[in-house]
Amino acid sequence: MSHFRVFFKKEMVEHIRTYKLLIMLVVFFIFGIMNPLTAKLTPELLEKFMPEGVLISLPEPSSIDSWAQFYKNITQMGLIVTVLVFSSVLSSELSKGTLINLLTKGLSRTAVIMGKFAAMLTIWTASLATAFVTTWGYTVFLFSDDYSANLFSSVFCLWLFGVFILAVLLCSSTLAASSYGALLLTGAAAVCLAILNIFPKAWKYNPLSLAGKNMELVTNSIMFSSLSYAIGVTVAAAIALLAAAVLIFKRKQL
Amino acid sequence: MDVFKEYWPILLPLIIAEVALMLAALRHVLKHRNYRFGTRAFWIPVVVFIQIIGPIAYFIFGRGED
Repeated sequence: MSHFRVFFKKEMVEHIRTYKLLIMLVVFFIFGIMNPLTAKLTPELLEKFMPEGVLISLPEPSSIDSWAQFYKNITQMGLIVTVLVFSSVLSSELSKGTLINLLTKGLSRTAVIMGKFAAMLTIWTASLATAFVTTWGYTVFLFSDDYSANLFSSVFCLWLFGVFILAVLLCSSTLAASSYGALLLTGAAAVCLAILNIFPKAWKYNPLSLAGKNMELVTNSIMFSSLSYAIGVTVAAAIALLAAAVLIFKRKQL
Repeated sequence: MDVFKEYWPILLPLIIAEVALMLAALRHVLKHRNYRFGTRAFWIPVVVFIQIIGPIAYFIFGRGED
């Protein structure tokens, strides 16, 4: 346990010194601001750039549009940036050989994997919270309506999906030799989940639903409980991936 | 300018965040000699003129080891 704590601290210091924490927080803050702004300004911009005489009737933007932007941006760009930032989480240390010293001095390999995961989890949680609070604040500021429901449960689903993706990334990092290999494996896993979604019945169990059904939750067209199987599968898969990462890393030749 | 006057409470923090990211990246570019690829003459315009994406690309792909 003390190994874990020490290694977790070392990971956080490293993320701060390599600007990873800064990038994540600033990027998610910018996303957070952009969402309500895009929702508010898109109709105005369209009107301005339409040629003379063309009339289009656009519905008045509402808080729903702002949250639609949030879930579009975070599930695409936000997750991509997260995965890119953390793609070298294991490979850079393996290629530099900085871990070998610590491991021969008795640092447990389980602590390495768990410490790395905990540090990624902390940063992902902080970044998502930043984006969420920013979007929330400005949405309330710009759109004074109460059309949006289930804000917390829908963002919880997205958070859990992010945790799952980070577990996939860490497990891929133990398998692949380079950061690009880890990225490729993570991308392949996401593609597999997307292919699974072709089957209409799969969405109930597919972790991808947690990043795709958020707007249905916000507009109250599905119940949170209908995602409970997907949540169960995601939690189980994340734990299994972590266990696999530990097992693979224990057998890996450094 | 009307848009800015109306929405300054949103646009101002956005601009500050972008400039802060740009300055952090620019400082790093100027302080270090080695990049994973590219040269200083390549990274300075990328970081300064490509908003948001430029500094992120520098920190993720271009930043050399100390």
